[in-house]
Amino acid sequence: MVYEIAILLLAFIVFLIIIYPTLWIFIASFKTEETLFSNDHSIYTLDNYFELFESGFGLFIFNSFYICLVSVLITIFSSVIAAYAFSRRRFRFKIFSFGSIMLGQTFPWIILVTPMFILFAKLGFLNNHISMIFCYVAVSLPFSIYLLVGYLESIPRELDEAATMDGCPQFQIIWKIIAPIMLPGIIVTAAYAFLLMWSEYLFALAFLTKTNLKTMPLELYAFFGEHTTQWGQVMAASALTTIPTLVLFLPLQKFISEGLTTGSVKN
Amino acid sequence: MKDNKFVFYLLIPTLFFITFFYVYPTVYNIFNSFTDLNLFKLRKGGNWVGLDNYIDLVTDPEFARVFFNTTFWLTIVGVFVRITLGLLLAFLLNSDTLKKYRLTNIFQLLLLIPWATPSIVAVVVWRMILDPQVGIINQIIIKYGIGKEPIAFLADTSFVWPSIITIITWNTLPLVTLTFLASLKSVPSEIIDAARVDGANKLQQAIYVKLPHMVPSIIIMVLMSTFWTFNNFVFVWLSTGAGPGTFTNVMATEVYLKAFVDGRMGYSSALGIVMATIMTVFGIIYLRLIIKRNLKELF
Repeated sequence: MVYEIAILLLAFIVFLIIIYPTLWIFIASFKTEETLFSNDHSIYTLDNYFELFESGFGLFIFNSFYICLVSVLITIFSSVIAAYAFSRRRFRFKIFSFGSIMLGQTFPWIILVTPMFILFAKLGFLNNHISMIFCYVAVSLPFSIYLLVGYLESIPRELDEAATMDGCPQFQIIWKIIAPIMLPGIIVTAAYAFLLMWSEYLFALAFLTKTNLKTMPLELYAFFGEHTTQWGQVMAASALTTIPTLVLFLPLQKFISEGLTTGSVKN
Repeated sequence: MKDNKFVFYLLIPTLFFITFFYVYPTVYNIFNSFTDLNLFKLRKGGNWVGLDNYIDLVTDPEFARVFFNTTFWLTIVGVFVRITLGLLLAFLLNSDTLKKYRLTNIFQLLLLIPWATPSIVAVVVWRMILDPQVGIINQIIIKYGIGKEPIAFLADTSFVWPSIITIITWNTLPLVTLTFLASLKSVPSEIIDAARVDGANKLQQAIYVKLPHMVPSIIIMVLMSTFWTFNNFVFVWLSTGAGPGTFTNVMATEVYLKAFVDGRMGYSSALGIVMATIMTVFGIIYLRLIIKRNLKELF
């Protein structure tokens, strides 16, 4: 009994520490500079949010959403067909191409900045969302393919082999038979890719200099640098950056655990 | 042959991104690392200097610091802390007590919160928590008389590394824990029952039965956490800007500083190639492992 209480107490303390920072973002975002540290809990206000939107923060939310959604769609399309090829087909240079793609996971992004900057400058893609979409798809592809190949391996081959024998056109097999079965895997991959892109800072910093094109992380940090003492507004901006990923992730809990089990840790 | 053609179509989008985003920059960096290309004299181009940049690099005392910070603090300490806490937390979540009170699922859900918090937000909120004036940690320290002066966690050399490691750990621990939890749940119950019948207590069951079963996923997570932190620019740059001074300078921030502050693009490329080479060695180990363990039937 004492043992049980000790475990429960430990668990509650650990999880309080774990969720405290995110919780604090939301609490602080409803407080003003004056009330931030008072213990009077009756004075919550939406002023921070109103001021943020008045200063045009909505545009950055839109930019981020637009870039991330397009990038996730391209990532999913590319990685589903690639994962199908790796999982179900035999072809020349298979291990070499799979290995090269996987090594993308280990690649230091920082060394891409200069060459990509020069390439984008030549193509006229600087200060253009195309360059961001290109980078975001490229950085999320290796891990997405890894997750999806792992997931596909857990699906019996008989399912799609039967369809092949029925003479179903090959592309249709992927979209009509394979994709629906691997939906949990696709959802996890999409959520993972979205989070990666949504919080990306380095490429946005390097390739977007026009204010009206900037993404949320970039603007959040710029805002933080300029208004270090206006914690209320900084926290409101942080809260707005966090809400979409929370809304996306929490309902997917079951899928994420499932995707992790079958994907990366299959023993 | 027909199959090869179809497979090629399926891989076109991926190969396109890989070529332009990974292959071309690597070739570009390798070439640049043998020149003295300067950011402020870009028009002039770079002259071939052979191995000079690499020689400068190994003799530069700043590189020694950067290399130590990256391998020791960021990677060894950072990964060790994450793996250890991840294992402990996975065992806690999977404990009979939490299961009995049906708390495993709700805690698993709460665990997603730090992960779903974008890393940039994680840095911002932790900078507030660790702030000398407004941060809660310093308020506690002063209020309960633990210390007399507030601590500037991100500017004091004795606290700055533990602080950065805390921020990274908080943000990335959930993924590690959930992976371990999934692996823990997949331990066959017959083995655990057998151990129990043989008189093994809970601790013995954990160490001698469950932990060995989790070794593959532990190795994979060690490697993945290594990639994620060794290469990471954002956490260090946004937390401290490589400071105080260049005290927390790591390889990723040094590549940036050398190229865009000092303008030494050639040197920066050489450093980048060293980084990429080290990671490729780890990458090949990782690749052999995942292919052998998970994807054996593919090849």
